[in-house]
Amino acid sequence: MVGLSLGERQFIQGGIAQDLRSDGRKRLTYRPIGVETGVIPQASGSARVRMGATEVIASVKAELGRPSTLHPDKGKVAIYVDCSPTAEPMFEGRGGEELSTELSVALQRCLLGGKSGGGAAIDLSSLVVVEGKICWDLYIDGLVVSSDGNLLDALGAAIKAALSNTGIPRANVASSVLGDEQPEVDISDEEFLQFDTSSIPVIVTLTKVGKHYIVDATAEEESQMSSAVSISVNRQGHICGLTKRGGTGLDPSIILDMISVAKHVSEQLINKLDSEIAAAEADEEES
Amino acid sequence: MGYSNASGDLSSEMEVDAFRRLFPLRFYERHLAELIRPDGRALGKARDTTIALGAVASADGSALAKIGLTTMLAAIKMEVMTPLKESPDEGCIVIEFHMPPICSPLVRPGRPAEAAPVVSKQLSDTILRHVKHFSVRSFSGMIDLKDLSLVSGKAAWMAYLDIYCLDADGSLFDVALLSAVAAFSHLQIPVVSMNDEGKLIVVSEENGEKDVVNKEKRKLRLNRIPFSLTCILHKKYILADPTAEEESIFETVVTVVLDTSDQLVSLYKPGGPALAFTSSVQDCIALTKQRLKELQTILDESISGMEVD
Amino acid sequence: MAGKAAPTPTTYSPSPTTQKTKPSFFKNHDADWVRPDGRGFHQCRPAFFRTGAVNAAAGSAYAEFGNTKVIVSVFGPRESKKAMMYSDIGRLNCNVSYATFATPVRGQGSDDEDFSSMLHKALEGAIILETFPKTTVDVFALVLESGGSDLPVVISCASVALADAGIMMYDLVASVSVSCLAKNLVIDPMLEEESYQDGSLMLTCMPSKYEVTQLTITGEWSAAKINEGMQLCLDACSKLANIMRSCLKEAASGSEE
Repeated sequence: MVGLSLGERQFIQGGIAQDLRSDGRKRLTYRPIGVETGVIPQASGSARVRMGATEVIASVKAELGRPSTLHPDKGKVAIYVDCSPTAEPMFEGRGGEELSTELSVALQRCLLGGKSGGGAAIDLSSLVVVEGKICWDLYIDGLVVSSDGNLLDALGAAIKAALSNTGIPRANVASSVLGDEQPEVDISDEEFLQFDTSSIPVIVTLTKVGKHYIVDATAEEESQMSSAVSISVNRQGHICGLTKRGGTGLDPSIILDMISVAKHVSEQLINKLDSEIAAAEADEEES
Repeated sequence: MGYSNASGDLSSEMEVDAFRRLFPLRFYERHLAELIRPDGRALGKARDTTIALGAVASADGSALAKIGLTTMLAAIKMEVMTPLKESPDEGCIVIEFHMPPICSPLVRPGRPAEAAPVVSKQLSDTILRHVKHFSVRSFSGMIDLKDLSLVSGKAAWMAYLDIYCLDADGSLFDVALLSAVAAFSHLQIPVVSMNDEGKLIVVSEENGEKDVVNKEKRKLRLNRIPFSLTCILHKKYILADPTAEEESIFETVVTVVLDTSDQLVSLYKPGGPALAFTSSVQDCIALTKQRLKELQTILDESISGMEVD
Repeated sequence: MAGKAAPTPTTYSPSPTTQKTKPSFFKNHDADWVRPDGRGFHQCRPAFFRTGAVNAAAGSAYAEFGNTKVIVSVFGPRESKKAMMYSDIGRLNCNVSYATFATPVRGQGSDDEDFSSMLHKALEGAIILETFPKTTVDVFALVLESGGSDLPVVISCASVALADAGIMMYDLVASVSVSCLAKNLVIDPMLEEESYQDGSLMLTCMPSKYEVTQLTITGEWSAAKINEGMQLCLDACSKLANIMRSCLKEAASGSEE
């Protein structure tokens, strides 16, 4: 928790009202974003994203599994977020659990699409090796290393970067399989399949402070929020998920306005993020 | 009725209420001396009882039982299992008793109620042992597990009976048992046939498909249904069907379970400060006998009510 | 315990939930298909509320929307847990659980933890927490039968239960969801429709204040469609709130007599 004096609170709120925030940003400006890929060698893909003092790591691990009986033609993706006690003393023990669940659920909602798979960031049918028998299970883990607000956007960006860094080994299936038997699979060490990450949405959280809303709020600014809406937007400008935080009610027209602002902001964010990811990938290859 | 009179009534009511809270035992003993209970019942009388069958459509059999305010919802779901090697032509029944946090202020999420495992054990003892005992001797008890067989050695029914306490106000076991019995009498076993992979799937009745495994066995035969009554023993008094308040004040209870042929199925007296004379146990059994007739009528009425619909 | 002594064998449900193809009514996406229960796309199921379902609780309500049946009990305000720090506003504690027989396949109730936190968020904005400092209000929900739109029903039912318990609120909270099936928006979806939906939008609002307390969207939506979906939900919420209000009024006038 951030403890602020009355003066500090008024300074933050007043700054936001005048479109000049305490760190010199405008209401709809992000902090500088830093992306680093391949930070965890044993994972199939990983990335570290920094937004100001907020730092998160995302890793992707691919394992062979069995598709569920309900969706035999789809792989499975699990997203889980952990809040490290190094980020905040409050996260020690079970303290971070509530926030972890909240972030995990919000990410699942923003990235996994509807029940039929519509609007999902990851094409689940591309994960199937043998229909009804074998598929890839993706385990996406997020770790909050340092927390200074806007965790959800940072995690969303880190997962996007980690997925573009992910290579899934080509799996060759032994051809003759009878009935119920589980076919044998050969996993290649050399050939890797890349994900198509262009459809992965970014998450834009608009935090409402007073009458205005801001993007990429710091922890201090978040402590002054009345409510926040996280909207995930893909490259086509379609909304892929939305969650609201904070108890205060919002007028429906404000929500619609927020959605259009988020769409506008997301274009810049996607471009910025894509170029950062490309640069990071290039860096990694050089080293 | 003047204004002053009304307020006078109110103040005396307040005093009674305070007396009840401060000296519950003396409050009750004064009532008992007059052979009446605070809710107006005679000592040996049970509360109003209702049964509603078919409360949950997603289950194969269900019943909502209510004695006084205590409410229980029992539902049975049938699943297919491979029978055990020792008993290739017998099915299985699993009983679970739940006290979700909605039912009482004493239950919190993640902290199960103390009473739940006790009632759960009593229920499976009563229903399952009853079942087992008779089926071994090859004349049926409440349920013959052989009736749950589908294909000998290959497939049998596993009946999951889940009982949820929705409102807890004393005599939990009596209501749980009543709802369980009612759910079994409402149970409609789905028609199944075997598919190519050797798994059983539900088929609709109208289609008249040929491979139906269980054409005749749609209902479970219930013989010798158990019914129970919980009584409180306090000094020379016996209080039938106690409320939660009564249970908390007097700690000695006796639960008698009889079946429809008046045989004693089980008798619980879990400790308590009062010792039971054999004569009072006999009195409890006599009360249960009366109660059994009442409960049986109520159950029969609810079943025939279903058939009319 | 004859039944438990042996290791419980693995069982499966014989109900045909594992079919691979969508049921026939979804096949012609653009044609005029009919909803499984014959409702219009923008027509809600009949809603039924009753207060005072659980006597042991401070307030309670039972709600039935088609096959969806839930009970919500409210306890408190009562003393907060010892470990909790002092707080000059009240706390709200929510829990949602599923009865094992609520779902077509036994024991497959959805992620309760998720639902509990969603219920909390939907309600906290409507409750005047300042009226019960240092104490906690517990809202517990049990889904007896899951027939689709479970969470919206739980939220609406919880708000009726809170009113029944006499907890001060700014307004009733009503919640409705819509499913996106191909190009169509269907309101108050059933379980079947939910399992094939391309996207869903759930809106919780305080109809008299005209404020949204909770909104979640999954799947891919265009801005215009979100607008349409929100409008549908808002209209349905205000109708739902009228039903909730008349149920509460009936209960209040009944107890006066």
